[in-house]
Amino acid sequence: IQPAMSRKQTPSEFLKQIIGRPVVVKLNSGVDYRGVLACLDGYMNIALEQTEEYVNGQLKNKYGDAFIRGNNVLYISTQKRRA
Amino acid sequence: MADDQEQQVPVQNVEEPLDLIRLSLDERIYVKMRNERELRGRLNAYDQHLNMILGDVEETVTTVEIDEETFEEIYKTTKRNIPMLFVRGDGVILVSPPMRTGT
Repeated sequence: IQPAMSRKQTPSEFLKQIIGRPVVVKLNSGVDYRGVLACLDGYMNIALEQTEEYVNGQLKNKYGDAFIRGNNVLYISTQKRRA
Repeated sequence: MADDQEQQVPVQNVEEPLDLIRLSLDERIYVKMRNERELRGRLNAYDQHLNMILGDVEETVTTVEIDEETFEEIYKTTKRNIPMLFVRGDGVILVSPPMRTGT
């Protein structure tokens, strides 16, 4: 899988490329959500599948599907898969 | 194959996150909100701001008390039931189908 940032691109192109990948979504509150990115929109509203919620590094909750309101999102990052 | 024209393929086949919420209409959902609040209720309506009308709702408010002597954190939850509720979207953090309790 080619890394998404192998060349210059706009943020919106990045967002299209990472759909379907496992991601880390960090919220302004510091809470972490890890899951597979189902889709997102220009407001950074996010739909995740197989979501896990981490608070202070600890796994707190699991959600089958999760919709996250974009204003809470600090960043969206891909997770490197470890072999 | 070098095309000089930019290909503008409208990507409408990918659903937006809000479309996925639409699938939960009339279903029971779980909503995590700011200020350590959670709601479980039936989604009757929503809009792009995440304003929602929820029916048959249970609200859970979680507080942490710190014991001054032992410094232990005491988590308390307060619940109340509301038959019909308008939720202002800016307080919403996360929306999900209800979790099976017992995690």
